[in-house]
Amino acid sequence: MPNMPRFNFHRPGTMEEALDLVSRFRASVKVMCGGTDLVPKMRAGVAVAENVVSLTRVPGLSTISYRDDDGLVIGGTARISDVARHPDVRRHYPALAYACDKMATVQIRNMGTVAGNLANAAPSADTAAPLLAYGASLVLVERGGRRQVPLEDFFTGPGLTVAEPMEIIEAIRVPAPPLRSGSAYLRVSARSKVDIAAVGVAAALNLDLEGRVIGVRIALAAVGPTPLRARQAEDMLMEQIPDHDLLARAGAACVRTAKPIDDVRASANFRRAMVQTLAQRVLARCGRLARGEDAQ
Amino acid sequence: MNHNPKIIGASIPRLDGKDKVTGRALYTDDLKFPGMLYGALHRSRLPHARIKKVDTSAAKKIKGVKDVVTGADTPQIKYGNWRLVPGSQDELPLAVDKVRFIGDEIAAVCAVDRETAIKAAEAIEVEYEELPAIYSVEEATAEGAPLLHDESPGNVSLTREISYGDLEGLLAQADYVREDFFKVHAVSHAYLEPCSSIAVPEEGGRVTLYTSTQTPYIVQCLLASTLDIPENHVRVVKTQVGGGFGGKMEMRPWEFAAAFMALRTGRPVKFTLTRSDELAFGRRRHPMSIRSKVGFTKDGKLLAKDFEVMLDGGAYNAMGPTATFLCGTFGNMLYNFQAYRYRGRHVYTNKPPASAMRGFGAPQAAFAQESQMNMAAEELGIDPIDLRLINAMETGDVIPDVATISSCGFKESLEKVRQVSGWDAKRKEKKPGVGLGIGCFSFISGGVFNWFNTKYNFAAAEVTVYPDGTAQLNTMACDIGQGPDTVLRQILAAELGIGIEKIRLVSMDTALTPKADLGTWGSRVTLMNGNAIIDAAKKIKDMLKPVLFDHLDLNQIHEIAFEDDRVLVKANPKKSMSFGECVYHALRGRRGEPLTARGYYTPRDKGLVSPAFSFGAQVAEVAVDQDTGLVTVTNTYTAHDCGVAINKMAVEGQLEGAIQMGLGYTLSEAFVMEQGRTLNTSFLDYKMPAAEDMPPSTYVEVETYEPEGPFGAKEAGEGLAIPTAPAIADAVYQATGFRALELPITPEKVLKGIGRLK
Ligand SMILES: Cc1cc2nc3c(=O)[nH]c(=O)nc-3n(C[C@H](O)[C@H](O)[C@H](O)COP(=O)(O)OP(=O)(O)OC[C@H]3O[C@@H](n4cnc5c(N)ncnc54)[C@H](O)[C@@H]3O)c2cc1C
Repeated sequence: MPNMPRFNFHRPGTMEEALDLVSRFRASVKVMCGGTDLVPKMRAGVAVAENVVSLTRVPGLSTISYRDDDGLVIGGTARISDVARHPDVRRHYPALAYACDKMATVQIRNMGTVAGNLANAAPSADTAAPLLAYGASLVLVERGGRRQVPLEDFFTGPGLTVAEPMEIIEAIRVPAPPLRSGSAYLRVSARSKVDIAAVGVAAALNLDLEGRVIGVRIALAAVGPTPLRARQAEDMLMEQIPDHDLLARAGAACVRTAKPIDDVRASANFRRAMVQTLAQRVLARCGRLARGEDAQ
Repeated sequence: MNHNPKIIGASIPRLDGKDKVTGRALYTDDLKFPGMLYGALHRSRLPHARIKKVDTSAAKKIKGVKDVVTGADTPQIKYGNWRLVPGSQDELPLAVDKVRFIGDEIAAVCAVDRETAIKAAEAIEVEYEELPAIYSVEEATAEGAPLLHDESPGNVSLTREISYGDLEGLLAQADYVREDFFKVHAVSHAYLEPCSSIAVPEEGGRVTLYTSTQTPYIVQCLLASTLDIPENHVRVVKTQVGGGFGGKMEMRPWEFAAAFMALRTGRPVKFTLTRSDELAFGRRRHPMSIRSKVGFTKDGKLLAKDFEVMLDGGAYNAMGPTATFLCGTFGNMLYNFQAYRYRGRHVYTNKPPASAMRGFGAPQAAFAQESQMNMAAEELGIDPIDLRLINAMETGDVIPDVATISSCGFKESLEKVRQVSGWDAKRKEKKPGVGLGIGCFSFISGGVFNWFNTKYNFAAAEVTVYPDGTAQLNTMACDIGQGPDTVLRQILAAELGIGIEKIRLVSMDTALTPKADLGTWGSRVTLMNGNAIIDAAKKIKDMLKPVLFDHLDLNQIHEIAFEDDRVLVKANPKKSMSFGECVYHALRGRRGEPLTARGYYTPRDKGLVSPAFSFGAQVAEVAVDQDTGLVTVTNTYTAHDCGVAINKMAVEGQLEGAIQMGLGYTLSEAFVMEQGRTLNTSFLDYKMPAAEDMPPSTYVEVETYEPEGPFGAKEAGEGLAIPTAPAIADAVYQATGFRALELPITPEKVLKGIGRLK
């Protein structure tokens, strides 16, 4: 294994210090949380930085909190395993809980963070699709400034985001789920466990008293350069009763949105078929949850 | 049999286990020597090309580089494991005229640190004349295909044929004949420890090689011959080895380069491969294209079999000739039939060489054979287990031209697996998406075939006993993680009647342990080394027995027993003395000569293949998601005749590991290759099953007593790697109606097979 290239490692004890460091070294700096993406990439020479700023000692940054009026706030260094086991996440955000339960391995989940997963911007990132479906946004801070970016505007390509090198993800904000809503995430890959998704589909659905769709977001993972919103399918569902036929057509619309490629993990053809299957399953489960039916 | 149940058949945890799990065990890459240099290889970037020029000048100029060597600097002596067949030796440690796969080793460098070595290896410039490349056996054997090796017309390096009985006549006479074509793919050994070697120069032009290998004696011989120095100038020491599975049973270019450069620079040189080197360029299991034609009577008696195999050997022979030979033997080991024809061809392609891998041709042959049995059973209207019972080998049966089977628990395995898996009931209730399938196996307990042509016995042991009641076992047996360091001490402890903790083990140092041992492969270690140890221990006991006769003035009719650290009179156990005391007295009578004995084993008069054969059957249960094509193995049931299991825990460990490998082979593992280049070179994309993927496993013992084995034991290592693929494939068919004739059974193939995907 090639040895790790040399770099300066900083472990600031406050957010101010962290922001100073990333600003000072903006020409060659990487923020690090769990390091589960960054370290292998640096070893492989894919990521290069003279300075690495670890956020793990910044106090208060790992908090996860939920309020009915304000929704969920996931701190920038909150670990995947902590998110997975948080009772409010499990209760209100089953798609996110599922992603955090199933992704990677125990060891990686205990180190890796949701912010790192998003900032790393892999098209297959497991927390991205559920968070897109929930309409999440990111709070980005830099020295002297703070902005909130909707997650759907965050990704610009594989490994690319709108965040500047001196910006830090302080938190991920997720709106509280409306009444009569349901959400779900499913993924497939060749290895049944411990694997990067070959395809993932997440959705959040919200019904009126008659069972008509009044709000829906569908997000697709690993079938395009970034996680994608399936707007055509969403439009098709709005104001409709989501019966089996409609879900099948919505699944087909998701397939039209997907831009899968052939790669070492799966063929484009297989990925398209999986988008259809997973979208139907995910939407059906969302419907059952929203109607308060027992969804296994 | 008089063996000690506290030792033989007990579940004794690995004696080396604690050091391994606490990280104290030293593997080759953990070792450092003063002044040690780090090596790196320059590998071919093209799949097939003539080397016109290798320019090392830029590399040599880099600060910290101590040596740069190309094939031109070396003695250029070809090597291969078949020393009896010199024509099969087709590989040079560093390529000279031609490269034949992406990754073929061209040059080596060593430098003061690893980064400098890598930089220097990259700075080497090779001028190529590119040649057309071929990637499949079909292309390679087509008319006018480019030749990889001039000496092998048609790109076939070796053909093995077996033929007996009236094949055509019996097939014509059969009520039911079927012919099928199967294809299996390459997979990686994926041992946890990537290869690592350190060569340390010694006085007098000698060299010691610490290396991660499963065949140190063979490495010693081949290193000496390729360096063109006397065999005795090379000492090979095995450190802890993190798995081999057949992938570490040859001499390899970095072992040569380390020794060659250590001798040139006078400094120790270390090479350690990365996982991506291993996946991109490493040895692998042979892909095979298989045609099998079988004829049955209407009541299920197998009459004849015509079996034709093309092995995709990659760029060099490696252990491919042995796999070609064995494949033919695996085609007629499990069932008794009158006529057999085998034609196996080893074919060159421009890919990393395939070689030995757990099962050595058997998993491939069995995927075809066992799948075909299942297909035939269905069409004959006979239950697959019944069909096997009709044709199963039994103790005393003869494998024509191979051997007489001296113990066989195959039928019992079939009955037991039928019972524990709930076969009869489950096969009747057909639930869509759920299925139950079977695969069976038999395997050799070590090879008699010996193309390595050693002058020594196949296994040797040296035992010394001391007046403090302890013993020392010196053996070349090679523990690469499978457990003989424990099991062989159990065997010695049982034979000498002393505690296992009393035995110091000195293993695998070609300069110190008795010659010779052919290494860890072919599931040979327990049987062969176990027999050598028993031989040595018996000689020790013969030296100790007179002490009791003398001290107790015993009548000659008495027999002496060795138990619980005591030596005693069998008919009157009260008459005894401690083992140590007995050694003390014996030593007194020897005037300073230590109590040491050597024991040996070579299978004699045992045919050409193996002294003993294991048998077994496995049932796999699957759930198939018919929308995603994902196959989940929900359960496995295995009945296994390995003779007397010396260490039950170790046998179960072999089973667990075999199922993990079998799952990967069947469902998820594959090299994704494009024009000879491997695209998935990390475990992220090379889909080896993880611990969480393991299905529950039920294991039933079928104990037979193998007369040729130590305490009745035979192999338990490789046979278990065979049945999983055909069992899962059959279960998938039961669940979906899709019969996979090609591996791996990916979700995509399942969906296509059931018409859900174009
Ligand atoms: C064996 C293994 C299996 C894996 N399996 C999966 C899987 O199944 N699914 C999946 O989606 N991923 C998987 N991953 C990838 C990885 O573990 C996740 O993406 C993880 O969430 C990354 O989090 P981290 O905290 O370790 O990120 P880091 O490695 O610390 O950082 C990743 C990137 O994000 C940036 N960054 C980190 N934190 C911040 C911040 N607060 N503000 C701004 N930028 C930041 C870093 O600069 C870096 O570019 C796997 C990785 C490994 C090694």
